[in-house]
Amino acid sequence: MSLIDLTSMAEPDEEQQENIEETLEALKEDIPDFCYQCGKCTSGCEAFILLELEPHSIMGKSRAGFIDELVNSEEIWTCMQCFKCQERCPQDLSPVGVIFALKNLAVASGKEIPGGYQKMLQSVLGNGLIQQTKEVLNRANDTRKRDDYDLPPVPKPEDMNKVQQILMKATQEKLR
Amino acid sequence: MNIMRELGLYLGCVIPTEQYAYEMSIREVLPRFDIELTDLYGATCCGAPLRNINLFTTMYLSARNMALCEEKGIDLYAPCPICHLALTEAKKKLKENQELKEKINSKLKEEDLRYKGIIELYHTLDLLHDVIGLDEIEEKVEEPLEDITFAAHYGCNTIRPNNLDRPDDSENPQKLEELMELIGIETEDYPEKLDCCGGQVISDHNESALTKAGEKVEAVQNHGFDGMATICPWGQRMLDSKQDSSADTIGESLSLPVLYYIQLLGVAMGIDQSKLGLELNLSPVDKLEAIEGIEEVE
Ligand code: SF4
Ligand code: SF4
Repeated sequence: MSLIDLTSMAEPDEEQQENIEETLEALKEDIPDFCYQCGKCTSGCEAFILLELEPHSIMGKSRAGFIDELVNSEEIWTCMQCFKCQERCPQDLSPVGVIFALKNLAVASGKEIPGGYQKMLQSVLGNGLIQQTKEVLNRANDTRKRDDYDLPPVPKPEDMNKVQQILMKATQEKLR
Repeated sequence: MNIMRELGLYLGCVIPTEQYAYEMSIREVLPRFDIELTDLYGATCCGAPLRNINLFTTMYLSARNMALCEEKGIDLYAPCPICHLALTEAKKKLKENQELKEKINSKLKEEDLRYKGIIELYHTLDLLHDVIGLDEIEEKVEEPLEDITFAAHYGCNTIRPNNLDRPDDSENPQKLEELMELIGIETEDYPEKLDCCGGQVISDHNESALTKAGEKVEAVQNHGFDGMATICPWGQRMLDSKQDSSADTIGESLSLPVLYYIQLLGVAMGIDQSKLGLELNLSPVDKLEAIEGIEEVE
């Protein structure tokens, strides 16, 4: 099931298309000419060595207009969200922010997104949290439950159905 | 500071569903500093993981959780740096953008909630270091941990991005070290201190995430530290809970005790270990002779 099936319900396609185009335009404005491709972001990128993520090349490609290619790439899904690139960019740019925007765009265009994120979204829609309460092991390999520790019940919205409905609509909204 | 301070305890997702030791120690330690923790029962995910899907939804969920706390007229304590960052970002963006705030409030209205933007946000690090303060903590230390040297693991979102009011400096954080020294633990900077644990990509890039965690533990171990202290549930999950699988992934043998700082503080305050969830640390914390009476869990 794609995310669109999960969230859009009866959203008219036209509106969806407009949405995507607007986000795309906004994204272009965000990808400034100020990136001078110094590569500092990539030099400290936590996902560079293991997953070959190159934030500077994402900045470069976006500026050159290869948004569609990026939206369809696997590389945008390797970011570890460490915010080092944003912190260290001498031009005060945010490659990680651009990567988030590209991922949002991928989702809005109905692209297949990695399973982990799908699962998280489904769980948040279903019970408000990214995962259900788990049984864990202690050092002796015995199973332990939350209840074993006298902890109060896990927070949960009183009316999950209502929150779910609001969330379904929220996932169709843009930030601006 | 002897006035009782009431804070909304916003646990997020990972803490109440699996990182029980963090929650137990928080509930055990903080009230001894006159902090009253009030649970936010209607709370949900902070929205941070959904940044990858839709930024508006993240903003909405963050605002919703803050609104729940504002309703009680108290400030909010988020022990997870990832939640703390998402909430801080939402607070800032909604202050700058009234239009967005209204748009979000129109959705919150369906649940009779309203986000006003009057809330203060705390994480474990600034709550201990800046609000309670070093003097107050020192007074409560009964059994300082001696002759051990620990490495600090802050967690990426605790310190970055700096423009979103983080609890400590982005490139040279020292508060956790100061807190450790306060309870007798020696500490030192090390080159990998700011390295990421890989936690955010664990579901889709399992091997790479475990490699990140394993390499950090290995480095800390090779530097000769006796253990590592964390203040992030995602970091603890990667460096402690998954230490064995990280070791398998990088093909090294890892045996580094990793504990939440607040567990160590609890031990130094003489709190019963069973109340600090010490049996739930999966790394070999029983190696630490400095923790008196720590037992191998049989
Ligand atoms: S650090 Fe900044 S200026 Fe340098 S390549 Fe990265 S985004 Fe561009
Ligand atoms: S936030 Fe993502 S892109 Fe930026 S340095 Fe970290 S892993 Fe790399």
